[in-house]
Order: sequence, then structure tokens, then C-alpha cells
Amino acid sequence: MNPENLTANEQISALVDGQLSGEAVTLAVQALTQDPQARADWHVYHLVGDVLRSQELSWVCTKEVDFLSRLRSRLQDEATPSLPGLVMDSVTSYAVNDMLTSLNGYAKEAANDASLRWKWVAGLASLALACVLGWSLVGEVGTQSSSAQLAHAPLPTVQTQAASVSDESVPILIRDPRLDQLLQAHQQFGGTSALQMPSGFVRNATFVRPAR
Amino acid sequence: MLLTVPARRWLASAALLFTASIVGAQTPTATPSQKQAVQRSTSDWLLRMHEASQSKAYIGTLVVSSGDHMTSSRIWHVCDGAQQMERIESLSGPARSTFRHNADVITFLSQTKVALVETRESLGMFPGFLKSPDAAIDDFYTAQLVGVERIAGFDTDVVQIEPKDKLRFAYQVWSEKKSGLVMRLQTLDGQKRVLEQVAFSELQMDAPVNMGKLTQMMAKTEDYRVERQEIIKTSAEVEGWLLKAPVPGFKPMSCYRRPVQGEQGNVGAAVQWIFSDGLATVSLFIERFASGQHGPEGLRVMGATHTLSRRVPDKAGGWWLTVVGEVPAQTLQAFALALERRK
Repeated sequence: MNPENLTANEQISALVDGQLSGEAVTLAVQALTQDPQARADWHVYHLVGDVLRSQELSWVCTKEVDFLSRLRSRLQDEATPSLPGLVMDSVTSYAVNDMLTSLNGYAKEAANDASLRWKWVAGLASLALACVLGWSLVGEVGTQSSSAQLAHAPLPTVQTQAASVSDESVPILIRDPRLDQLLQAHQQFGGTSALQMPSGFVRNATFVRPAR
Repeated sequence: MLLTVPARRWLASAALLFTASIVGAQTPTATPSQKQAVQRSTSDWLLRMHEASQSKAYIGTLVVSSGDHMTSSRIWHVCDGAQQMERIESLSGPARSTFRHNADVITFLSQTKVALVETRESLGMFPGFLKSPDAAIDDFYTAQLVGVERIAGFDTDVVQIEPKDKLRFAYQVWSEKKSGLVMRLQTLDGQKRVLEQVAFSELQMDAPVNMGKLTQMMAKTEDYRVERQEIIKTSAEVEGWLLKAPVPGFKPMSCYRRPVQGEQGNVGAAVQWIFSDGLATVSLFIERFASGQHGPEGLRVMGATHTLSRRVPDKAGGWWLTVVGEVPAQTLQAFALALERRK
């Protein structure tokens, strides 16, 4: 094991124990969102804590993120009978919501009544995780929109989906050159407007294309 | 409440007066005589603005702000009624100049020394959307003169164009008093937020723009590698698509087949089916679904331009539909739901 890895482990451990504060929390949660190993550690440490407190809670709770991303990719490959967009979105969002609810529930139950501190930390940790996930999404949007101008619509479905597949480095917000081409093709016809302001034409004429 | 009825009534009317005076102070000034002088329908207003662009020559600086993004460009425009020419030099972003002679467009990218040649049929001499007897534009929009303002040194009529349903956006147009030329245009959503603005920051009306000189500049491609956009005119019928329910107000304008470059350099083809309600344009792009080639499904917003991507399944692997338009999301959804494969 290299020392860096050790530090990451220790960070996660400290986060689980509620011993981090300030920027360290942000860094640790960031690691949590980016590193599958860190996530696995996070779950293991919780599991260890739970089992130490109560035997009943020693159920296997890892892999739900993997499961969700597998579910998502399988759903995408599946030829669904009708309205695949709607079906997939809602199914995934339900799955994600269920998973989040159960995770929250798990976080609450993980702390038994005797140790109130645990409960508080777990709740705070999951809140912090949610905040950081949300924040990093917003951050992504900001940086993306400056280059691609593809600010994301505030669709809760999409956001939870993005959060669930952070494994794939949030694909939804990645600039899509194919879509840029279509946008450009559409804007060429800005002149189909009776307003005759050459807006579509100008937008197209000044459209910043990705470097080839 | 202990107030007597007259007292309450007096208070109410005082409050009303007060509010009216505030509102009056904030809205652009419009004297009664001006309002009486210009009683135009939506199509009258639009026709006037359109005709101004057909007859005027001008040089100006145009600023487009969309979302948090802003671009500016210098425009030379000349039109003698039959021929229309335009030159646009981008002032922000990479240097590029675009020339248009009626439908022929050439864009010089000076950095890469590439000249893109395109034909944009629907630009320029805008069709009889407004003149046709079934000019539906009045059925879907109302226009109202709300005041006068000065823009870039010109007196303008401020015209509010409101949609009658929720399938389109509202517009506020500043139209030059004498000619009708659009000086500034705002696209507004249902909550009156400005989604996009196009405005001349400076304009020289009746400028000496020389059509011959522009034609010469347009033909100077010696130092450039000329790339031609292979766009084939087709029809939705031929391509096997139909809308099982029309989206109110939107008429099909044209249909093309165009190449789309994939990430690995491979070229696919997309059908672009274009609709317009006279003010807003919606494009339906339909491609064969190719695993790994397309982004995620969902809705995106860029200023007034909304985009909806969705996979349409069938037995042979399905299609990838992208609906783009300066319309609210629900309009795109209506198009996506109505699109059907012809049996």
C-alpha cells in the first residue's frame, strides 16, 4: 500500500467517525464521490461500526451504486416497448430514490439510541454527501456552460441519475460535439422567423465551435 | 374592521391611483396619440419589420446575449429588393467572417484556413408566412405597442408580442419608428425573464454598402480549403416520418438529410425536419440509434434554445431523436410524443 492510499483510507475513516472539519470534510467527500475504493471503504467502515453496535444491522449494503449503474446500462440496452425515455427516467429515478431513502434509513438505524453522536454524524455525513454531490453538479454546469453553453435544466430526475452514476464521471454534463452540430444546423434556420433580426444567422456565424 | 365603507373605498382608490402612477413611471412612455396612430395586428407589425430588412442598407454592431454567454459581431447588410447580401465579422471568439448572398453562404475560418460553403434556403427572402390568407400568426400571438424608447440613437416603437398559449415564448421588439427595422429583440419566458437578447449597440442606417465589393470578397477563396456541406433536400414522407398530432401553430417548413460527424470521425446521417410558427423554429433531428454515439437522454437549455434528446425504439435498434427549438420544453415534448414511423 502506498502512503497516499493510506491517507485516503484514514480520511474516510475520520469522516465516518466525524473527526474531520472544514475543508478536510469537502476533500474527503470529494474523494468519496470520485473514488470507488473510497466508497467501498465508507461502507465497510459503517458496516464495522454497525456490527459492533448491533448484530441485526450486519446486512450487506455495498455495491448499490454498482448495481444502479448496471441497472442503468441494462435498461439502456433493453428495447423497451414504448416511451423508453419516460420509462427509463422514472424507473431509474424511483430506484435511485428508493436507494437514497434506504440509505438514509440505514444511516439512521446504524446509530442505536445509546450513541446519539453516531446518529448525528451519520445524518450529517449523508447530508454533506448530498450537498457535495449537488455542489459538484452545479460546479460542473458552471464550467461546462462557459464553454459549451449547455446549462442543464433543473430536472430532479436527471440530477439523481447523475448522482447515481458518478462512477462514469457524470456523463450527462459532458460537452456533446454531436449535439453542437445539431444546434448549429438548427440555428442556420433562425431566418425562418418573421422577425428578420439576423439572430439565428448571427448566432450561427459567431457560434464557437470546438477546436478540431 | 372599524373602517366605514366610504373610507375603505377611498383608501382603495387612493392605493389604486398610487400604484398606477408607479407603473406609469416605470413603463416606457406612450402618449395616447401614439397609441391611436399605430393600431397594427401582429402580422402587420411583423410584415413591417420584415419589409424594413428587405429595403434597408445598414452597417452595425450586433450584440447577442444568451444565458450567460455573449457574442458581438459587425454586420454589413444590403438589399435591393431582389438581392440580399450580408457580411458578418465575429468580434468575439475565434475570428471568422461569413458572407451571404441570398441563400448562398460562405464562412471563412481564418485560423484553420477553411471556407465552409452552405446553402441556406430558408434565409433571406422570407416566405409568405405573413402574407398568406391563412396567416395563423394572429391566432397564436398578440402584439401591442407599449411605448417608445431610444436605441442606439434611433427612436423605436416598443412592441410586446405575447403568445396565446404556453407552447411558445413572448417577445419584446424595439422597432425603428420610420423604417420598422428591428433594433433590439428579447425572448421572454412565462415568468417574463429575458432568455435571450439581440440588439444593435450601434447602427448606421442607409450606409453605403457596395454589393459588388461584397461579392468580390465572397469569391476570394484562394488561400482557403473549401469544404462543402452535403445537405440533401428530402421530405418527411420519403424518410418515413409523420406527426400523428400536429403541434398547434407549427407548420412544416422543410426537410433535409445532413451528415453528422461522430466522435471517432465516422459520419452518420440525420434527417432534419423543420417547423415554424412564424416566430419560433423547431428542428427534429432523427438519426439511427448507435450505441455509445449519443449523449444521455434529457432536456438541455441554452438561453432561449431548448433541446430534448430521446431514444425511439423499434425492432431494428431504434432511433435517436433530438428536438431543438426556441420554445418551452413542453413544445419539444409535444413534438417528441407526436412523431411516428410511417407504416
